[in-house]
Amino acid sequence: MKFEKKRANTKQSIPTASLPDIVFMLLLFFMVTTTLREVDVLVQFRLPEAKAIEKIENKRLVSYIWVGRDGRIQVNDSIVKLNDIEKIMYSKRVALPNVIVSLRIDKGSEMGIVTDIQQELRKASCLRINYSTLLKL
Amino acid sequence: MVQIKKRKIPDAEIPTSSMADISFLLLLFFLVSTVIDVDTGIGLVLPEYIPPAQQQFVPISKDRLAALLINENGDVLLNNEVISIPQISKTLQPRIESKIDQPANKKLVVSVKTDRKTSYNLFIQALDQVKQAYFNVRNEYSLQHWGKRLVDLDERSGEMKELKEKIPITISIAEPESVKK
Repeated sequence: MKFEKKRANTKQSIPTASLPDIVFMLLLFFMVTTTLREVDVLVQFRLPEAKAIEKIENKRLVSYIWVGRDGRIQVNDSIVKLNDIEKIMYSKRVALPNVIVSLRIDKGSEMGIVTDIQQELRKASCLRINYSTLLKL
Repeated sequence: MVQIKKRKIPDAEIPTSSMADISFLLLLFFLVSTVIDVDTGIGLVLPEYIPPAQQQFVPISKDRLAALLINENGDVLLNNEVISIPQISKTLQPRIESKIDQPANKKLVVSVKTDRKTSYNLFIQALDQVKQAYFNVRNEYSLQHWGKRLVDLDERSGEMKELKEKIPITISIAEPESVKK
């Protein structure tokens, strides 16, 4: 009697024909979700830490103001003067009425500059702000 | 007769075997360059700007107001009592709780005031404590009434709405005073 090895008759290979399609789909997803327009941050800062923090759900509404440890203020792509903030932020608010201003301020800063920026924001009627902080563990 | 041979046209095919590799490379690039960091922070709504000439003094009764003062040395004054920053949330919690059933115009108002020289980090720590006090009270209320934790509540649910109505977070940033020289 002849013994035969039991072996399935199917081909032993993974069909790779659809692999490019799958990969392209993934690729498209990442291309769409990536926000490439990252602003060059010109100031050095370390964020403070806090526990009771919230997430900003809608990233499109966010506009940033950076304050470095040397007290320089950056909006968009350039360093600005304190007096210019009102004008810039007002034009932002006109374009996007419910803008959230995220303040990324170095933790070693003094409250004086924070208060000044807040006053400028109030004049520009950008009232929704967010003190950007890291999560304290 | 010379036979004119018809030139054989080679198969016009694009080699697609390397397509997967190429797209994998692109995919990797986008995977690496994507930043899916969610912005986190302490949210606040500033009051509207009113020119100093038109500002009116609105008296707030003492039992509604929790005045938080942080000076440049990092000393914290809560209603004229010196406390340390980690104590703020414990001190505020009973006061917030006592006002849950009061009407909206009797809820607690936390006023935060700082010096110009106060460190920003301290201000955030203090603000964090205030927020924590509110979150703890909300969490307890939510556990008592619906048996759910605050984090499990949906942002748009009716329960969240009730919470926001019963325990509104009112943090007032004091109007800056002109610097005395």
